[in-house]
Amino acid sequence: MSVAALYPWLKALHVAAAIAFAGGLLALSVFLAAAAAIPGSVPGAARVMRRWDRAVTTPAMLLVWAFGLALALSGHWFGETWLQAKLAIVVVLSGLHGVQSGYLRRLAGGAAVPSWRPAPFILLGILAIAVLAVAKP
Amino acid sequence: MQREKIAGRGAATAVADQAAERAQLRRLEIASVIEAATLLLLIGLAVPLKHLAGWEPGVKAMGPIHGLAFVAFAWTAMQTVAGGGWSRAEVARLFALAFLPFGGFLNLGLLSRKAAALQPGNVGP
Repeated sequence: MSVAALYPWLKALHVAAAIAFAGGLLALSVFLAAAAAIPGSVPGAARVMRRWDRAVTTPAMLLVWAFGLALALSGHWFGETWLQAKLAIVVVLSGLHGVQSGYLRRLAGGAAVPSWRPAPFILLGILAIAVLAVAKP
Repeated sequence: MQREKIAGRGAATAVADQAAERAQLRRLEIASVIEAATLLLLIGLAVPLKHLAGWEPGVKAMGPIHGLAFVAFAWTAMQTVAGGGWSRAEVARLFALAFLPFGGFLNLGLLSRKAAALQPGNVGP
């Protein structure tokens, strides 16, 4: 199978992984905001969230990177400004996920986390990525 | 009876927490070694081969490989630090050394000390 024939399949898998990653990222940000607002710790719920994060959200993030880099290489997109901007946003969202994942480990251990409300920025990031990837301005 | 059950669950959680922190520090150690090794291969082998022998494929391969290794290290480091128990100086040192040749290897001592300092139930501030 040629690279051109593989391209739509890679794209479909990239989009599916991105949806799973974005969903997990948003859900975790809402959970962390709720955990910080509710007095007392929530280690039991945090352990459930942590299992989901490790089984779905983190692998989805790795697949987003793997399929995204494969798409960019096969389509020779790396020189395009829209992709460079999109990549910068993906780096920030991945970093946010790293921090959230650490906070979740802390919560699961029974410790408190600081106030954390990045959901509006995550939504803006998702919107910007969709515009950059689809419209390629 | 109920109190014993709760105390028992607390002790089990503390042990699990300690194990989770040790596993996290181990992952950061591995990421740190890979990041440091790929940086050494890039600037110690691939770059000299490009400039002295005109052999470019080494840089073209090692550049992206080290880039990915650095991203993986940075992500794992953020995840580890966000778990709590790190001073600002330790965080600054962890990230600053990643930019220097052999720096990732120098971080291993810090990570070993953090693992040795772990006490049950003492995983965060």
